Amino acid sequence: MYVNAYHHSWRRFNFFDKETVKDPDTGQVFDKLKDVNVSASVSGHGQLIVGDHEGFLYLVSRQLKLSVFKAYEIRVSHLFQLRQHNLLVSVGEDEQGVNPLIKVWNLDKIEKGTPVCTRITRAIPGNKPTPVTCLAVHENLAWMAVGFENGSVVLFKGDVTKDRHTKTRIVYENPKPVTGLAFKTSGSKSIFLFVVTDSQVVSINISGKQDQKSTVEHFGASPHCTVMSDHTQDHQLVMGRQDAVYFYQPDGRGPCLAFEGEKLHLQWFRGYLIVVGKENKALLRTAVLGGQSLEMNIVTVYDIQNKFIAYSAPYPDVIGVMCEWGSVYLLGGDRKLYQLQEKDTQTKLEMLFKKNNYQLAISLAKSQQYDDDGLIDIFTQYGDHLYGKGDHDGAIDQYIKTIGKLEASYVIRKFLDAQRIHNLTKYLQALHKAQRATEEHTTLLLNCYTKLKDVSKLDEFIMTKDREVDFDVETAIRVCRQASYYTHALFLAEKHAKHHWYLRIQLEDIKHYQQALEYIGKLEFDEAEENLKKYGKVLMSEVPRQTTELLKRLCTDYRPADSGGLGRIQKASAEEFIHIFVNNSPKLTEFLEHMIKVQPNSPSLLYNTVLELYLHDYVHERDSSVKTEKVRRTEDLLKNPDARYDLDQALILCQMNNFKAGILYLYEKAHLGQDPNLWVQALSYFARKEDNCKSQLMEVLSQIDKKNLLPPLLVIQTLAHNSTATLSVVKDYIIRRLQLENDQIAEDERLIKQYREDTEKKRAQIEEMKTTAKIFQASKCNICNHPLELPSVHFLCEPHSYHQHCFESYAENDSECPVCAPENRKIMDIIRAQEQSKDLHEFFHNQLERSQDGFSVVADYFGRGVFNKVTIITDSPTRQKGGAGTSYPSKHL
Amino acid sequence: MSYAYLFKYIIIGDTGVGKSCLLLQFTDKRFQPVHDLTIGVEFGARMITIDGKQIKLQIWDTAGQESFRSITRSYYRGAAGALLVYDITRRDTFNHLTTWLEDARQHSNSNMVIMLIGNKSDLEARRDVKKEEGEAFAREHGLIFMETSAKTAANVEEAFINTAKEIYQKIQDGVFDINNEANGIKIGPQHSPSNPSMPSSGGGGSQGGGCC
Repeated sequence: MYVNAYHHSWRRFNFFDKETVKDPDTGQVFDKLKDVNVSASVSGHGQLIVGDHEGFLYLVSRQLKLSVFKAYEIRVSHLFQLRQHNLLVSVGEDEQGVNPLIKVWNLDKIEKGTPVCTRITRAIPGNKPTPVTCLAVHENLAWMAVGFENGSVVLFKGDVTKDRHTKTRIVYENPKPVTGLAFKTSGSKSIFLFVVTDSQVVSINISGKQDQKSTVEHFGASPHCTVMSDHTQDHQLVMGRQDAVYFYQPDGRGPCLAFEGEKLHLQWFRGYLIVVGKENKALLRTAVLGGQSLEMNIVTVYDIQNKFIAYSAPYPDVIGVMCEWGSVYLLGGDRKLYQLQEKDTQTKLEMLFKKNNYQLAISLAKSQQYDDDGLIDIFTQYGDHLYGKGDHDGAIDQYIKTIGKLEASYVIRKFLDAQRIHNLTKYLQALHKAQRATEEHTTLLLNCYTKLKDVSKLDEFIMTKDREVDFDVETAIRVCRQASYYTHALFLAEKHAKHHWYLRIQLEDIKHYQQALEYIGKLEFDEAEENLKKYGKVLMSEVPRQTTELLKRLCTDYRPADSGGLGRIQKASAEEFIHIFVNNSPKLTEFLEHMIKVQPNSPSLLYNTVLELYLHDYVHERDSSVKTEKVRRTEDLLKNPDARYDLDQALILCQMNNFKAGILYLYEKAHLGQDPNLWVQALSYFARKEDNCKSQLMEVLSQIDKKNLLPPLLVIQTLAHNSTATLSVVKDYIIRRLQLENDQIAEDERLIKQYREDTEKKRAQIEEMKTTAKIFQASKCNICNHPLELPSVHFLCEPHSYHQHCFESYAENDSECPVCAPENRKIMDIIRAQEQSKDLHEFFHNQLERSQDGFSVVADYFGRGVFNKVTIITDSPTRQKGGAGTSYPSKHL
Repeated sequence: MSYAYLFKYIIIGDTGVGKSCLLLQFTDKRFQPVHDLTIGVEFGARMITIDGKQIKLQIWDTAGQESFRSITRSYYRGAAGALLVYDITRRDTFNHLTTWLEDARQHSNSNMVIMLIGNKSDLEARRDVKKEEGEAFAREHGLIFMETSAKTAANVEEAFINTAKEIYQKIQDGVFDINNEANGIKIGPQHSPSNPSMPSSGGGGSQGGGCC
């Protein structure tokens, strides 16, 4: 396969159509140049230019109109047409002898049928006249180089179109005639001049301060055998020799292509190298022109990049190769003009397809900047071709390149055969890599893997970490699960946080409850809560201990297990999880006990449930010692002051389970403290009793005292009925009571005094306001804070002063100080509220009834003026607080 | 791209032994089963790193056919390394090694590092030249030896990089005069001596100092 795959020379195609140019007017073969003794030919800017040995220049237009003018007296020898400017540089002779003259023609300016000659310069190196052998002009119009037969090269620096301001210097001297010159711009600044003689190639960096010469080759070429390539070959100098064509960069020799044969002329055309060579066959074909036989030349067009011969044919003695109007024009020795028209890309590709030369088609299409659709079409055809040949591996490689454009099912269908599963897998992988896979593709690929039992590929596809996912995760999980590749499914579910899938697989397929539980423990709170609710029952029945532990965590201080102590602590409400513990009351007991311990303020439902569990336990316990323990436990719970069980429900529970101790305690808790009459009755009961019941009396008294159930006088009266009750029983009680009363009196007196003083102070203030003058000294307005100006308004209260306009725009009414107004309003509101409430008789009675101290209620109402006959709220100057009372404004106008 | 050194390589050997495929595998990391015959000389380039230094390998791939011998010979000069390739499935390509070696020794500089490569190691079933024979030939002529497969890329990187390491070592040892470009070694643009007008006294020694 290796050896036979080689083609032993470049492939040949016919990518150009040859046509003899005909005159559009007459339809005859174009023969206007038939008598011209051609010396040089160039092309550019829409015309072909031919110079002759009589000094004429012939310009051929697109319509094949010929215009002729005399450029030199004797002959034209060299021509150079610039690409970017319509300038023609010519070398020729006006006088006999060796006197070459450079002329620069502006072909855009025609005067009297002749282009304007902008410059005439003598071409002579030093002072020895010698014939010119070649000519090159840089496109920037700043450099021109002329090579001579004596081996010297003269460089002209400065505007090419003008004679003035140009500097000339000899940049190269060598005994051999110069055969080729070319400029090359490298990078942004460096300009090189290639000089070719028939014995060497030299590159000279002419842009530096000093010319830097380097010999890049120790042999050379004949005239016309050097040409500059274009960007497709990196603007290298191309030199044709007998054995090969060599490429050069300024710093040395590049590749070479061995094309045997004597070369006469090299030309570059759009990535093609055109070589005019001598036919090396012994058998020389000749063409006959006017009885004169012409040697035949072979014109070969090489596609250097794609390595094939695009055209090759014999022509009679080619004397000019010109590239213009998108074609190549050959001027034959028979003075006929031949056009080589390149075929369009589609035609070329079709030719290649016919020969099944798809690879070349692809590289050709690429080098011609063929669009994507076109390329994909080629890949598809190539793939089909290879598939047809049975080269499935090769075919799939081509099909992979069509991903994104070609319908994937087209390819998949071809490879669905079990024998082709490897190819199919490869294609599907590429499809995924290109992010073009649908769910079905993922399913198919995974099925391929599973069918191939290729766990390593599956691993690679799924388990590779840090890889971008190029498939639908859920589908992948589903397929893996179906194919029993649980680890893969789990990996995916975990990586992509598909908790639902993860847990389902763990619980339903592999039954790793412990791991599922751990997984939940690592989730964020919300997810953990949700999933525990969902799967709690299963987990509880399988791994009760761990589940309970997790629940404890979840309901107290949950944070994800691997968050390393960071993360927000959250807790779920325990009551929502009670249902999970169906059939597992010991664990529920444990859980709830934990909850109650950690959070005593848990909702009553928790306490109720615990109580229920305890009681249930207690009832079903047979062992008496354990039973006692359980009784103690239940009682502890009931008696726990923090326990927030529902009293009624607890009572019902205790009664249902016939737990007497509990019933008693609950009654006690429910009734005793609440009804004060009970204590009063107890007191009279004990008081009436004749036995010595001192301790009971003490107890009752202390309760009465604590809750202040009876006035002390009543207590004494009650006890007085009893014959056994001694003073010692009530002594402490009475002393404490009296003491309390005393303190109360003292406190009241102090307050009375204080209020009196306050009232006195206020009166004095009112008096002062009524009788003495107040001086307003404020310099700033209290609203806008600007210096006070007339007219202004002053208030007595603080005193506050305002601009009149400020006051008017700010105050709500003109009799109140705007700053003090809010404060005043507050006081007024209090008074008004009191006024109102004094009329609410029912409320009063209600309050009086509920109050422990009826007298204070009455006193309070009295204080609010229940019995006042006159209303005092409106505009009352007597109600003042800290001098901020209502005051009448005084206006300064 | 900047580089510390540029090494020029040449790949030689009979036609069809896989020279172009080796180059393609090394520069483009791909294998082309159908390959045009090389007519003339082509080249490829790739950056590698040795000892923390960027080294550009400029590799000249020559035509193996006898008729192109005169052209390819002119490329021997100025190569620092050569890959002499034979095909392990074709004994004649192994038998021609002596001629190739003589040719290379005659037209290149004496310090050129030559690596002998037995290519197509993937075609074990069709092997015609034993690995030991290749090793023996290499030992006898003082070459480095390696069997490679341009198709599977086995040892391809190693072949090119080991050659570069050998050249690099020779530079360190002062065997190569790196200021003479005819040796196939170029100092990268930023590594050139800062003052080119300074007279360089004893090229190798002073360069050695610069490297350390």
